Amino acid sequence: MATTNGGFAGKVLRVDLSTGKISFDDTVERYREVLGGTGIGYKVIWEEVSAGVAPFDAANKIVFATGALAGTGVPCNGRTAVTTLFPSCWPKPLVASGHMGGQFAAKLKYAGYDALIVEGKSDKPVWLFIRDGRVEIRDARHLWGTGIRRTTLEISQEMGPECAVAAIGQAGENLVPLSVVMNSVSHSAGGVGAVMGAKNLKAIGVQGSGSVRIAGDRSEWERLVKFHLSILGGNNQHVVPSFPDPHSEYYNPRSRWVGAPGRRWGAADPPVEINGGLYDLNRIAFRSNSGAFFLGEQAWKHTVRGNGCTGCPIRCHTILKVPSIAAKYGIREIAQNTCGGLNFGRAFFKALPGGLQSQAALEACMVGMHMADDMGVWCNYGQLQRDLIKLYYDGTLKAKIGSLEYASYSWDKYESGDPLFLFEIIPRVAMRQGELAQGLGLGTGYLLDHWSIPEEVWTKDSACAYWKLGHPKHHANEDDGQCGVIINTQYNRDSQCHSHVNFIRNGLPLEVQKKLAAEIWGAPEAVDGVGDYTPMNMHKARRARWSLVRKELHDSLGLCNWMGPWVASPLKERGYSGDDSLESRFYSLATGQQTSREELDLIGERIFALHRALTIRDMGEMDMRTRHDLAPRWIYQDTNGAQAFTRGTIRMDPQDIAKAMDMFYELMGWEKATGAPTADAYARLGLKSVAEDLAAKKLLPGAKQ
Amino acid sequence: MTGEECKTLSHALAVAIREASATGKLAGKDLLLSSLKERGIPGFEEQESPDMEALLAQTLATHRDLAALTSITGETLYHSPTLLSRTYASILDRKGSPVVLIAEEVRMNSAQYPRPIPPDLFERAPFDLSPAEIEAALKCMAMSSEFQDISFTTTSTGAVYLFSTRHLERPYAAFLAERADTGLLSNP
Repeated sequence: MATTNGGFAGKVLRVDLSTGKISFDDTVERYREVLGGTGIGYKVIWEEVSAGVAPFDAANKIVFATGALAGTGVPCNGRTAVTTLFPSCWPKPLVASGHMGGQFAAKLKYAGYDALIVEGKSDKPVWLFIRDGRVEIRDARHLWGTGIRRTTLEISQEMGPECAVAAIGQAGENLVPLSVVMNSVSHSAGGVGAVMGAKNLKAIGVQGSGSVRIAGDRSEWERLVKFHLSILGGNNQHVVPSFPDPHSEYYNPRSRWVGAPGRRWGAADPPVEINGGLYDLNRIAFRSNSGAFFLGEQAWKHTVRGNGCTGCPIRCHTILKVPSIAAKYGIREIAQNTCGGLNFGRAFFKALPGGLQSQAALEACMVGMHMADDMGVWCNYGQLQRDLIKLYYDGTLKAKIGSLEYASYSWDKYESGDPLFLFEIIPRVAMRQGELAQGLGLGTGYLLDHWSIPEEVWTKDSACAYWKLGHPKHHANEDDGQCGVIINTQYNRDSQCHSHVNFIRNGLPLEVQKKLAAEIWGAPEAVDGVGDYTPMNMHKARRARWSLVRKELHDSLGLCNWMGPWVASPLKERGYSGDDSLESRFYSLATGQQTSREELDLIGERIFALHRALTIRDMGEMDMRTRHDLAPRWIYQDTNGAQAFTRGTIRMDPQDIAKAMDMFYELMGWEKATGAPTADAYARLGLKSVAEDLAAKKLLPGAKQ
Repeated sequence: MTGEECKTLSHALAVAIREASATGKLAGKDLLLSSLKERGIPGFEEQESPDMEALLAQTLATHRDLAALTSITGETLYHSPTLLSRTYASILDRKGSPVVLIAEEVRMNSAQYPRPIPPDLFERAPFDLSPAEIEAALKCMAMSSEFQDISFTTTSTGAVYLFSTRHLERPYAAFLAERADTGLLSNP
């Protein structure tokens, strides 16, 4: 491992599955300007994958990249960005990334690598063995056809208990675009499983005996880690508990900080009582319980503990143990996940007996996790399930598939919210069995194309939550007005950005949020009350830009954007403010390269601009404004007819959104008419050569046409 | 009382207030007097002593981590907001009157965050009301002119959320209730 630079492991590992060649690059020399994570991913795709390459071509590459802070003691550092051409991006595959937590990032760093680039295609199923400097492409024919759990177990037995295994299930093998790669049992990166499948790459097992060197002063590092812990809240940086607590002036019944004195991890052996002291830095893990948040009180008695990523005290992957599930459905009694993964099964049903927090909901969640996390099916942030709901209840489905296939599903179970229905639908999606399951697994855009359904049918239906390019919204106007809309226009899949929503949902009163907003983004008007939106202003545009830049920074440093940024805190003595310079302070100490907040943000913006350049290049289109940065019709509607800017609606105003995009483009230094970065914008970010390449393709504003 | 004696007593009072807060109690004059007696600190025989008032005022001025609030009974109560927040202290103070407890909590939530809140919040600590007590309090409010601003909205699942019409318009309360009841649970 290189020791001249801290933070970075030192090498980027490259494996060509076509030739079997294994090679190494120097991380700092070649990639420091883009940090790691999505930065390395976008750079590799920009430099090495030509426009027009398809996701399943051998010429496509898949980049597993961590960052300088992964594998260190920084809280929430367990992230790996998996960047490639996305097969579910419609109508044309474009660059995107999935992000997984777990232990993979740290193990890769400890083995000496900041990133792994996989290229080519094997002629038979293989898995990748990585143990420090020893890298081997191994036969995986015995694993092909098995699920993620079996694969993980087999490789773990071969490598030893200290390894992390990232594997695909049957969905990835069968080239289902909606498929994941998953490591550490439940931590998945969505949308990329089939790219591995196309390369005949079943899994990656990684084990390392090294460590990550911290270049800066050790005591300063430890102080900063402790400070970071002190400003952590609960899951998604909700900084107030869901109940009144003597230590907190504020609370929020819908906070994800649900752990409270008197609660109990009832399925632990012996059960664990939560006895208070939740502000103690050694007891942060008691604050969150995703099972209890989503499934209510009943989940406490089924809770074994929280699981999670390297260095993260939040433990958002709740382990649930429900013995009755084993008896009733013949499946494992234990499952673990969070958010979309936890809700995978529940989300299929329009209604469940007893509602969203009922026994039926719990069972649906358990069955869903059991199947999807083994077969490796991706929910496309719930769009897979919403697509089925719409197709079925609109009557479209019956008209589109054959009567025999239609009759092969138990629609009575579907309508009644019976989890047994999941045994019919999920395996068929993974195995591409039948017209319906194949269509669902393609992703929304290609499904609609396949069945000649106009996209407009989806874009005008708010219940669908569909956004564009085959993907749904991810915290858009329903959470954050124009800021959410801008963010959701920018990516080639759902935006996966939490910088904005973690602030909006942090649980502090609006007045306190506005005070913090004034400190961070220049004015209290940078934030509105949810559903009480005011016309667009430059401060909101500034917050949108900050949100996107911080997302890319987190994705490129190995930090979790599901938990950060940390600009609010539970600390009354700080006026509930967090710290906007935390990332740069950690980066400076880890690497030994003094980097200010502004300098690091500039790198984040560079990475984001590279994503923009790639999108422009691969679309062969400079007019991002009207061809890419789109918003669905449903954001301009209200089911009750309420007008935009009235209290109690998330309806947006088309002229105001146009103004929002103008302001955002202006802040980014992009041309307003097209939303394309100008030569000056690229140059300011150190991407002059990117601008020159685009100019040569006539994809740069102002370049001679 | 000499200046030094005042300082000693003020310090003892501050310690007693902090100790009470640390154990989840608001400190009234009774509690403080008994605390002083337990510690064997002489100087006060009864709580109405004018010296007691002055000394408590001095204690608050000297010990900036301490605060006072006027109880719903009119009594002045003391606490350390660091150990026992004002919000939590107010809840403890109102616990003897479920009607006031619920009404003021609903009003505060509607005004401050803003948001409506579900009645079952009051079944949990530190409110600790039974469903019957909550129901009785809501019925009582419905019949009292003093609480006519306390209203409710029903979500698509049939869940009830309480809000104050002084601070939240009904359509906005309905929007926020729906978001809390279904939106946030199905929008991970």
